[in-house]
Amino acid sequence: MQWLNLEDNVNLLSLIGAILIILITLVVVGRMFQQMKETKGEAELSEHNWDGIGEYKNAVPLGWAIMFLLLIVWAIWYFLLGYPLNSYSQIGEYNQEVAAHNAKFQEKFHNLSADDKVAMGENLFLVQCSACHGITGDGINGKAQNLGVWGSEEGIIEVLNKGSKGMNYAMGEMAPAADLGVNAEDVPAVAAYVAKEISAIKKTANENLVARGKEVFATCTACHGEDGTGVIGGEVMAPNLTQYGSAEFVVDVLNRGKDGNIGVMPKFSSNILNDIQKQAVGEYVISLSRGE
Amino acid sequence: MFSWLEKNPFFFAVAVFIVIAYAGVVEVLPSFADNARPIEGKKPYSVLQLAGRQVYINESCNACHSQLIRPFKSETDRYGEYSKSGEFAYDRPFLWGSKRTGPDLARVGNYRTADWHENHMFDPTSVVPGSIMPAYKHMFNKNADIETAYAEAVTVKKVFNVPYDVEGQTKLGTWQEASEEVQAEAKIIVDQMKNQEIKDAFARGEIREIVALIAYLNSLK
Repeated sequence: MQWLNLEDNVNLLSLIGAILIILITLVVVGRMFQQMKETKGEAELSEHNWDGIGEYKNAVPLGWAIMFLLLIVWAIWYFLLGYPLNSYSQIGEYNQEVAAHNAKFQEKFHNLSADDKVAMGENLFLVQCSACHGITGDGINGKAQNLGVWGSEEGIIEVLNKGSKGMNYAMGEMAPAADLGVNAEDVPAVAAYVAKEISAIKKTANENLVARGKEVFATCTACHGEDGTGVIGGEVMAPNLTQYGSAEFVVDVLNRGKDGNIGVMPKFSSNILNDIQKQAVGEYVISLSRGE
Repeated sequence: MFSWLEKNPFFFAVAVFIVIAYAGVVEVLPSFADNARPIEGKKPYSVLQLAGRQVYINESCNACHSQLIRPFKSETDRYGEYSKSGEFAYDRPFLWGSKRTGPDLARVGNYRTADWHENHMFDPTSVVPGSIMPAYKHMFNKNADIETAYAEAVTVKKVFNVPYDVEGQTKLGTWQEASEEVQAEAKIIVDQMKNQEIKDAFARGEIREIVALIAYLNSLK
């Protein structure tokens, strides 16, 4: 680094300033010496007197007087207008920061490719979801839902066997299949039918069971409706099975939370995740059970 | 007038103090009075939550965990809405903390649940790989001090006029009523937990420290 770089404005200005200060000082000090030599002490003493030590009556220098009056005007402005109307607000700055970020986020991510969604979802998953579901989504030895199974045909079998509750749908709790009058051997059939024909999985390992599953599914239509959408008579009564195995179902769980057989999952409907982020988490979670 | 002040150093000092203090009074007092009011919807802690708060203080959780979310996007993304002063109106003392070895807990009730806290306090690394938080297994054996918590609630009610037993606020009542309320509140949490010893102890009428602590943590929203 060059210690005296005059191409830098700050250095140049400082140097000019320093020279000016020295010159002004010399002039002022010279004039004061001159004054001391020439003038006699004829000035009037003020009435202030401390043990015989007096003080000359000097008029306030004009520049000081003007500055003093200007400062009074400024103080009145600052007290009445400047501080109340223009003061810095931390919350205001925060709001601006958030608005700017959201606008940038929308612009950058409104049209994500499938791969980007999964990548974004993985990052969010590691921050928000991994504390319960584990960093691989395996549910940490049964502490939370194993997302490698949930969302697949196997997951449907699990729901049928254990029942489901805690998403706060109008129909309430779903009892285990055994209590609903479904035989244990029919459970894989229902799962095959739901996976193949209704849900977003669209495939099954047991093609041959689909027809039988369709018959048994009649038991399920009481709550989930004929088409499995969970809408009966125009009202949402139960989870929408056509979304099972897709990101939309995950978003639904994020919004509603789940108070289920394993534990309680909080809602993520607050400002922690925005819509794009929820969709991304959904795509990532579904990619786990698809084995991608 | 001023020459009189100049000759009387004591009164001069008093005058200087008044002039300087005036600015402080004008700037500080209004916002202080404004911010000390509880935010809308804020309720005083229930007795069980107070007992959990005592556990929190006892274990010095505030040495590693703050309870104050600053208004920065990076913080609100991770922890939720930034903290407002009115939210701490019933905190005596407040537990803002000044160090984050662990995450902020100001809104932990929004995104963690009873069973998660249970696993985490018993063995932190079982749910958070790489966590350096120590295990708090002793909380599973010791009973929460409900009596002291009730005494604290009664004291702040009488001394600081904290609105217990006011319409729409937390109910306190007599010791009998309060302990029934504590039992009911603890039951909800114990039902969500898995540890059989906690459940057995609760059946015998004992409330473990972990239950009170979870009640407190779940109340942080």
